[in-house]
Amino acid sequence: MRLTRCAQGISLLVILLFACAFILDDLAILLAGSTLLAGLFGLWYSFDRRFRQAVASVTVARSLERAVVRTGTTLRVKTAITLQVPDHMEVSVSEILPAGIVVQDGETSASFGTSIAQGAGEFTYRITPVVHGTMQFSGITLVAQDNFFENSCVLSAEQFRGPVLSVQPRGVFEPSVRGLTSGNREIEKMAILSALGVRSLREYYAGDDLRRIDWKMTAKHNKLFVREYAGVMNLPPLIIVDLPWRGAPCPGDAFSQMVSAIAGQVEHSTTKYHYSTVLLVSGPNILHFIFEEKDLQRSLSELREWMHPVERTTHFYRMTDRSDIRRHIRALELLSDGTPDPSLQKFLGSLKKQYLSSLRAQQTPAFNAQIARTLSTFKVDEVYLFSLFTGDVSHLHQIIRQVKTMNLRVHVRAPKGLDLLSFPVSMSLLGADTVEVFA
Amino acid sequence: MKLPVLREDGFFLLLVAGVLLFTFAASPASPYICPLLLVLTGIVLYTTRTWKDRAFYILCAGLPLVIALSAVQIWAGLFAVWMLAGIVLAELEMLASGNEWMSYAAFCGATLVIAAGIQVSNHVLLPLMILAGIIALIVAVQILRDYRFRKQYTGAHP
Repeated sequence: MRLTRCAQGISLLVILLFACAFILDDLAILLAGSTLLAGLFGLWYSFDRRFRQAVASVTVARSLERAVVRTGTTLRVKTAITLQVPDHMEVSVSEILPAGIVVQDGETSASFGTSIAQGAGEFTYRITPVVHGTMQFSGITLVAQDNFFENSCVLSAEQFRGPVLSVQPRGVFEPSVRGLTSGNREIEKMAILSALGVRSLREYYAGDDLRRIDWKMTAKHNKLFVREYAGVMNLPPLIIVDLPWRGAPCPGDAFSQMVSAIAGQVEHSTTKYHYSTVLLVSGPNILHFIFEEKDLQRSLSELREWMHPVERTTHFYRMTDRSDIRRHIRALELLSDGTPDPSLQKFLGSLKKQYLSSLRAQQTPAFNAQIARTLSTFKVDEVYLFSLFTGDVSHLHQIIRQVKTMNLRVHVRAPKGLDLLSFPVSMSLLGADTVEVFA
Repeated sequence: MKLPVLREDGFFLLLVAGVLLFTFAASPASPYICPLLLVLTGIVLYTTRTWKDRAFYILCAGLPLVIALSAVQIWAGLFAVWMLAGIVLAELEMLASGNEWMSYAAFCGATLVIAAGIQVSNHVLLPLMILAGIIALIVAVQILRDYRFRKQYTGAHP
């Protein structure tokens, strides 16, 4: 229990009065001091009684969006709390989060004062587990305060704990051996058969193309039926948004410009192609996938929820791709063959040795496979990649490489004022078809 | 049960009446001291209406009056303490229900016992030591209660 400023002042007065009473041997001062002390104790007892009542009335109901997730997955947590707030008291409640969890957004605490008369509140927030293992929400911390005292209590009994979140590990690299059998290959996704592309069937009218007659239907109903094929439309683009890392400085103006540009692109896609597909990544972490959303408002609402710097579970730390290392080695070999200087040749040789050892240690990042799997689930002609190019940008090169492997066009959207010729940026943009700035 | 809130003005008027009555009836050696201290209390009471932690300022202003009255007649000082406590509680709106009035009455009873103890004492030391003992006992009991309470709600095995 802690004293507020007012109670601290009163305590000081009591001590002062007792000291004066003792030194002067004055019973009148003793009466003033002792009655003041009695009053302070009375207030303390009253506060303690109300605090216990508040604690005894707390009920907590917590729910998770999913109980089993992989490291780096963002999930929503809802906590509903009810309690009786005693008179003349303000109560605030905050979640005790397990270690290894990062709060992405939302509120993890609530105040129960005069604004919430019933003493019921709910707060929603999103978390990202950054380490694997079993994590249990271990309760809440309740803090109560009145004009004279403040007290807090950790409520971690059985009724305040739970649920348990099981976090599975996620590898940084792909397993080197794939499950191959004769003639086919295992894939980690569901597959469906493709349709014939017939939109509808109708009765034959004079002038219809005879090649469109459906003979089975005609034989069944003894009436001529023709097929109406589905129309052809350009495929909508895939919008990939690279959200900045929370730990790196993020220019606010550029970020808001990027948000506006993405919103405009989504609106354009929805208006022109009737739906939009957005993939949200942050570094080599896939965060969220908005797949063929037809409702513009829903798309924008989901974007609003996600558009902020996020915590990254995995970092690439300027990781170079295997093919880039091989390219460097080839360039070194050419340079070494063409130079007569033995010292330079020695240097190039040692550099090549370093590259070769890096090549042996380097594996295929899991992020590449995730991007490839995501892109293979739907048809797309072109990809728009939005990024602020802050911090490590090596994952952008991996994205562009995967997209180009599938023969898709890549249009990069970068913030205004970015030096496109600077080293990490220019490397990351290798293979992009167009680069435009948003402002 | 909700009772009508008695504002601090009511308690202050009672205090004024009590002090004036005491000044005229008891005829103390310095008859101007208590009314002057009463004026000081009144000034603080009405000029600090919008201040934060007003209770502290009211107590600071009222304590000299309590000491001055107690020096002449301890029961008069006790009356001033009751009125001062009433003013503070009314200011904090802590005299609105029957339970709160009961708490106020309990406070008055406890201070009555303290005043009686001081009345029969000749020196400060003995009552001060008794008070210190009582405080130590209360604190010890409270620490024990607090330990059991926290143990129950933190989920520790009994």
